[in-house]
Amino acid sequence: MRRRLDLLVVLTERMLRARYRGSILGIVWSLMNPLLMTGVYTAVFGYAFRQYYAGSVLHYALVVFIGLTVIQFFSGSTSQALSSIVVNSGLLNKIRVPFEVFPASTVASHAVQLGIGVLPLLIVVTLFSTHDVFRALLLPLPLAGLILFSAGVAYLMSTIYVYFRDIPHIYELITFFAWVTLPIFYPAAIVPEHVRRFLVFNPLFPTVQSLRDLALGSGWPDLPSIAASLAIGALGLGLGLTIFTWRRREFMDLI
Amino acid sequence: MRLEAVSLWRRLQEEASFDLKRRIFTLLKARRYERRRRRVLDAVSLDLPKGEKLGIIGPNGSGKSTMLKIICGILSPSEGKVSVEGSIAPLIELGAGFDPDLAVRDNILLYGVLLGHSAAEMRAKMPFILEFAELDEFADVPVRALSSGMVARLGFAIATDTNPDILILDEVLSVGDESFRNKSRRRIESMWHDHVTVLLVSHDLQFIRESCSRAIWMQAGGIVKDGSPGDVVDAYLRSVDSSAQERLARARARLAP
Repeated sequence: MRRRLDLLVVLTERMLRARYRGSILGIVWSLMNPLLMTGVYTAVFGYAFRQYYAGSVLHYALVVFIGLTVIQFFSGSTSQALSSIVVNSGLLNKIRVPFEVFPASTVASHAVQLGIGVLPLLIVVTLFSTHDVFRALLLPLPLAGLILFSAGVAYLMSTIYVYFRDIPHIYELITFFAWVTLPIFYPAAIVPEHVRRFLVFNPLFPTVQSLRDLALGSGWPDLPSIAASLAIGALGLGLGLTIFTWRRREFMDLI
Repeated sequence: MRLEAVSLWRRLQEEASFDLKRRIFTLLKARRYERRRRRVLDAVSLDLPKGEKLGIIGPNGSGKSTMLKIICGILSPSEGKVSVEGSIAPLIELGAGFDPDLAVRDNILLYGVLLGHSAAEMRAKMPFILEFAELDEFADVPVRALSSGMVARLGFAIATDTNPDILILDEVLSVGDESFRNKSRRRIESMWHDHVTVLLVSHDLQFIRESCSRAIWMQAGGIVKDGSPGDVVDAYLRSVDSSAQERLARARARLAP
């Protein structure tokens, strides 16, 4: 266990270093992408959709930003973790290393980024818009749900990739599907009733819902959504790890 | 260290298509898909007392490296039992775990932790490793910028700076330039004279004859002969010789009118 923790820390550090090459600007850089995209969406759709957001374009921009950070974390971490077992095949053939640290360290490196980049920004937004410290304190919960769920998908996809090397193309389609079916840049209200019913089946839906409620809502926080986000995270991780462990014995023959 | 009737079956890579689309088409055409397996190790038993220096010889593809991987725990046996007491230092392809973009210092930490040491332990050993590898001045330089000799020195320094109980050498006795080679030979020799158990795969039969206390000859996933290095090397050479003679005779027979 101690060894796994050491490995996880060392490998996560390596990924972060590789991404930023040691510059402090890295954290700013990781925020640039969602901020720029929020800007583009707001410029294009903000005015047309403002009626759904109490007439406020700023409100629309905040809603978009929260949705984007969720979907970008999910698709970024899982599509990088997808190849984590196969990419390290050289290493795994020479040194005895527990397989499970590779997908975990990829997701962990994205989680660190989320914690030092997005989270402070969300706290500031929450405090400004709701003046409620309790809500700000609850913010890490849906983010934890998101991280757990992504880790589960990372385990599942890295297992499948060992068997099928053409999976990245198909996975790109899946993340696009998740992206569009989450009401990120459009209000759920514009979706026809018979389609809207299905949007809640997107596993990331409760996470987005609860983050938006915490940061921008009023009254009693939406606790059921937070619970749902955590439950989906735990379930996803359990399922992903089970499949990963079930197939692990065959990995060495195929990578 | 002990192997009891260890066998290993591996799935054949060539047979796996690695392609989801093709696999679906194959299923649609109702073609039978069956997994083929190959036996790489066939009931290998080996009992190695502490301090024994074992030389392993045999042709390519006879299972030598596979057996070492089983002993290191990289592969787990399909049948049989492996029991290893003590820590292992695998000197197989030094530097396999290096990240070229990371600084030497970070790579020492990374490689050490990958080899199974704790991060705290590696931090404490850092100066000694840098000193032995003669890379003090390069501690903050990315490994990419080092020469290949320097990288090999670094790998050797990390892998051997740990007082292992079992040392596994897979053809890596010559590392770096002349002066470092002497230094690394001295370090290996000092382990050699200690109570360290050594497993050595080499095609340098003379070296095995002179330095090992025991040798095994592997062929087609099994141990053909186990005994004193002199006997085993002689038997191996005779068999290689006679099979070469046979091939020669067959070739002659074909050419003869």
